[in-house]
Amino acid sequence: MVGRSLRQIVWARLRRDKVAMFTLIVLIAFVLIAIVGPFLLPNPAQVFDKSAISDLGGRPKLPNGGISPEHILGVEWGTGRDIFGQLIYGLRISLIIASSATFITVVLGTVIGIFAGYAGGLTDTVIGRFMDLILAFPFLLIILALSGVLTQRLTDLGVPEGNPSRILYLILVMSVFGWPYLARIVRGQVLSLREREFVEAAVAMGAKRRRILFGEILPNLWAPILVYATLTLPAYIGLEAALSFLGVGVQAPDTTFGAMLATSVAFFKTVPTYLYFPGFTLVVLVVAFNLFGDAVRDALDPKAIH
Amino acid sequence: MVRTRTWSLRAAAGLCITSVMLTACSGNTPASQAPGSSTGVTPTTGGEATPDTGGAKPGGTIFVLTQAEQWDQVDPQRVYTGEDLAFFGGTIMRALTAYKFSPDATEGTSLVPDMATDLGTATDAGKTWSFTLRDGLTWQDGSEVTCDDIKYGVSRTFATTVINQGPTYAIQYLDIPGPSDADTKAGYLSSYHGPYDKDNAAGQAAFDKAVVCDGKTITFHLNAAHGDFNYTVTLGFGAVPKAADTGETYGTVAPYVMSNGPYKVESYTTGNGGKMTLVRNENWNADSDPYRKAYPDKWEVQFGIDPKILDQRIMEGSGDDATAIQYGQIQPENLGVIFQDTETTNADFEGRAISGFDPYSRYYWIDVNKVKNVKIRQAMAVALDREAIRLNIGGAFAGDFADGAIKPNIGADYAPTGLWDSFFGKEIPNTGDTELAKQLIQESGEPAPTLTFNFADTPTNQKTAAIIIDSLGKAGITVKPAAIEPGQYYSVVFDAKKAGDFGTGGWGADWPNASTVIPPLFTQKGGWDLAKLDDASVNAAVDAAFAELDRGKQAADWQAINKQSAEQMWHIPTFFGLSQTIAGPKVGPIYRWSAYGSWPYGEMYVKE
Amino acid sequence: MAAYIFRRVLLMITLLFMLSVAVFFLFNMLPGDPARLTCGKACTPDLIEANRKRLGYDQPVLVQYQNFVGGIFFGRTFSADSPEPIKCEAPCLGYSFSRHEEVMSLITRAAPVTFWLAVGAFIIWLTVGISLGIFAALRRGRWQDRLTLGISLVGYSMPSFFIGLILYYFVVIQWKLLDKPEYVSPFEDLGKFLATMILPWIVLAVLYAAFYMRLTRNQVLEVLNDDYVRTARAKGLPERTVVVKHALRAGLTPIVTSAGLDLAGLLGGAIISENIFNLPGLGSLAVDSITKSDLPIITGLTLLTASLIIVANLVVDLLYAVIDPRVRLT
Repeated sequence: MVGRSLRQIVWARLRRDKVAMFTLIVLIAFVLIAIVGPFLLPNPAQVFDKSAISDLGGRPKLPNGGISPEHILGVEWGTGRDIFGQLIYGLRISLIIASSATFITVVLGTVIGIFAGYAGGLTDTVIGRFMDLILAFPFLLIILALSGVLTQRLTDLGVPEGNPSRILYLILVMSVFGWPYLARIVRGQVLSLREREFVEAAVAMGAKRRRILFGEILPNLWAPILVYATLTLPAYIGLEAALSFLGVGVQAPDTTFGAMLATSVAFFKTVPTYLYFPGFTLVVLVVAFNLFGDAVRDALDPKAIH
Repeated sequence: MVRTRTWSLRAAAGLCITSVMLTACSGNTPASQAPGSSTGVTPTTGGEATPDTGGAKPGGTIFVLTQAEQWDQVDPQRVYTGEDLAFFGGTIMRALTAYKFSPDATEGTSLVPDMATDLGTATDAGKTWSFTLRDGLTWQDGSEVTCDDIKYGVSRTFATTVINQGPTYAIQYLDIPGPSDADTKAGYLSSYHGPYDKDNAAGQAAFDKAVVCDGKTITFHLNAAHGDFNYTVTLGFGAVPKAADTGETYGTVAPYVMSNGPYKVESYTTGNGGKMTLVRNENWNADSDPYRKAYPDKWEVQFGIDPKILDQRIMEGSGDDATAIQYGQIQPENLGVIFQDTETTNADFEGRAISGFDPYSRYYWIDVNKVKNVKIRQAMAVALDREAIRLNIGGAFAGDFADGAIKPNIGADYAPTGLWDSFFGKEIPNTGDTELAKQLIQESGEPAPTLTFNFADTPTNQKTAAIIIDSLGKAGITVKPAAIEPGQYYSVVFDAKKAGDFGTGGWGADWPNASTVIPPLFTQKGGWDLAKLDDASVNAAVDAAFAELDRGKQAADWQAINKQSAEQMWHIPTFFGLSQTIAGPKVGPIYRWSAYGSWPYGEMYVKE
Repeated sequence: MAAYIFRRVLLMITLLFMLSVAVFFLFNMLPGDPARLTCGKACTPDLIEANRKRLGYDQPVLVQYQNFVGGIFFGRTFSADSPEPIKCEAPCLGYSFSRHEEVMSLITRAAPVTFWLAVGAFIIWLTVGISLGIFAALRRGRWQDRLTLGISLVGYSMPSFFIGLILYYFVVIQWKLLDKPEYVSPFEDLGKFLATMILPWIVLAVLYAAFYMRLTRNQVLEVLNDDYVRTARAKGLPERTVVVKHALRAGLTPIVTSAGLDLAGLLGGAIISENIFNLPGLGSLAVDSITKSDLPIITGLTLLTASLIIVANLVVDLLYAVIDPRVRLT
């Protein structure tokens, strides 16, 4: 009940917010392109256009990185693969990784946070220290160091080898290092909710613990969870790009924004557009998500100071 | 083989490693060349060759810029990378013999005496070699370089648990009994354990018998005839004074290597920002060293330079960079700026950049125990789109299409194998011949296989893998890529249990004799047998070639085995590697020294 | 108070212990065979095996862990076969056989770079973030506020490596406004030091500044709504006094503590900034070691970095307890 009315209120507020609506349209466009694009374009991972590049150094034959009607954003050095196609396919992989990781992060963070907050005592302390431990890890370093082994382990466990395993690794590892932040927020909320009358009433009525946790408390947590999720998604898109840039994650012949940026760096002087296209697409995507996230937060809590 | 380094293209590639050996980052392997005289193909030299060092004057500092984080090794017994051998050989580490400085490919791989008075005397039909030391050889502390110092240096090679990663010809060639099972278990490759094991009297006695010092004359007793042993002594036979030897850390920590060359190490730090500084060795006696010119006052090697800016700095060549030279290879994106084609530089860079053979033949090894059917192996080779693969690593700049394991710059041992033109009864285009491949599979009597392809995990290799999957796939062969962390590549693929069916590889000769190519690649001798081939008839043919003392007949023997290797497709030959390097405007001479595919460090100078 | 400190220190030690166990066992899974790294071409399986034994990598993980921890407190000796074995004095974090150097000395060499990088960026982001945050809060709802918010939004949406690359190429390579970055100690050549560090500082500071700007703005607005600030205003105190004396002091405490933790995190190495600007700090060291599977360095670095964060947590908590005694109760 709470959920539905809240949703309606939020939606009504969002609809009045022009920025929110605009960014929503942009985001929907991105998602649609990511879903539909691959059906319209051949996967550039497999299409090597040798005719577009020169045998001396693999340089695109046409100026500006080989921009032509056939390759509207140019081609990659050495392979002649279409950059526009790479962007579209890369967008899809980036979105899959970021949204899956966000989903798992939110589920983990919420469940563990509720549990810690409601159980209290030793359980709470142990979970708290465990979270401290995770947060103390230099996660970027760990992600880099463990990518080889853990990806292999995933492959051994039956995940298709190569990029599926790498993608899954990224999703899992981002989630593992991401959930404690949300869990802390949720735990704090639960601590205060626990004392509220409706929960006490439910306890008095002899409701089961699971019913109390997920029936009574959870619906009151949607606002902070939703806000957290809308801000985590763009953060993960950026993180995935950074990791790809450092060489972890999706690898050629497939690509993502970060991987494209990493490749294009070397050619910046000769073909600057190669860096700009994925770079600016990435920035637009993340800004749109963040703007929308802000709007959602405002809509959920108009009194808040933003 | 002379080893190469592999590069961390941090900017372009994210992560990519200095690996145990070559081609871990295929396509970005730098120059460093094995000795090789040229017959068929002359190494190309972009920019004018300036053999004449008449304009050379003493003084100044030459800066060596590299993206490597450190030297692979700084130890006379451990240095094994071509460029490093050239650098240290020209500055701080003398040997009995050395290669002549010359822009001419053939002359550049001819021997001259260094610490020895001549090129050595072979007796006993090539089984005993003696060298006499010059007068006036000194260490940097002023003491004399004695025969015992050389003997001690050689003995260190046997201490394989401490002195590792270096060339092991001393162990292979000297007349010392092989290891017992107990020796092998303890990590030794010989019954002699080197100077650090004090409880090995028998081994020590055997070594003392094999290497004998008599005044200024050092005599080596070999286990077989080796007519080219005076080439061998350029590799790992350097002198080390016993008192200065610190074992594991020798060379890398202060007081560094005890120098007997014209320079000495002043300081050495590794990593990004690290430097090695060489200053003049005041105790070096020029009279005892007609070989090294020792023009600059100082050498400064700068490590860990971002590849993004390394080329840029030398291309601009302002300030200190005017006298800088590149250790490594020009990035692909700059090749078009510097070169018109693989042989000519653009006007701005005339006389500053060189393009030529590196020491390496590249190939895809095939595990013959896993892919037993020769027709299948041939089908793989025929189906391969070698042109697309080459484009991906720089096109014509990356190398010529190879027809076997032996590279033309080795000299007499090379002869065209006819692999791609005539062996299959027709010419195989560089883009592959899918139809013929399908036909070969049919002839094999086996279904088209599914094969696992190993490669060091770098972005370039990942794309290469995609090309291989694509082109072999057209012929019906399913290829599953199995990327290996670059730092681990060779340790994995040498392990038959972990290795896939085929994968990337590369090899270069140690000196101009295919005895440093064929045996390591196709027999259990020499340890680079990625094909896991151990065939009695091949082993016998190799032994026969080794025993052949007539160099002309020996060359024919190597050519025959090379041809067989291509036809039997123990590995798929792909490219004879080329590489490109650049120097600042005020340094010379600019040519590729064919001995190591490197700069001729020992005669470089700062121009006016 | 003493009891509280004691309890927290005890907790920290437990955490450090758990951390060392976690790091050690986690990295033990890595494929990097340190024995393989010590032997090159003539590497026979037996030789690898012998080296493994010599380096102690054949022993059970637990024993290796003991040796490792023992090294931290009492020092260890490596390469016993060598005529001069390598004595690694306590605190010994290990020895890298591929770089022929103690992990500790590698870290000591890289640490100043990271330190200056982190501290410089820290000063920039705090100054910019807090002043813009206050500015926006005071202009709440007006165009200045919205502009600042917009800048902050773009700031934290830009992936730092993208900003870094663009700045690097334009400022250094295209326009040649600055020299190519090459780290020198500030005590050696201050001018060159600043010229090298300014871009990395900016890049590193952008993300944090954007974040702290928002944080400050929200904190200040919250405090300005508090009763005592209203009282102060009602008393007719000038706005400036109200903001500076009352609102800021109360509002900034959490910001400063959070900044302390962020700084501690950065001191472990700013991988991306160091990578882009080729700074020889801990982050570069980490990346290089990872690419080479140089296990001793990776383990040592991770442990050190994580310990730094745990200790910083303790310090911040203790400071907090001193400032605000109520904290101790929770």
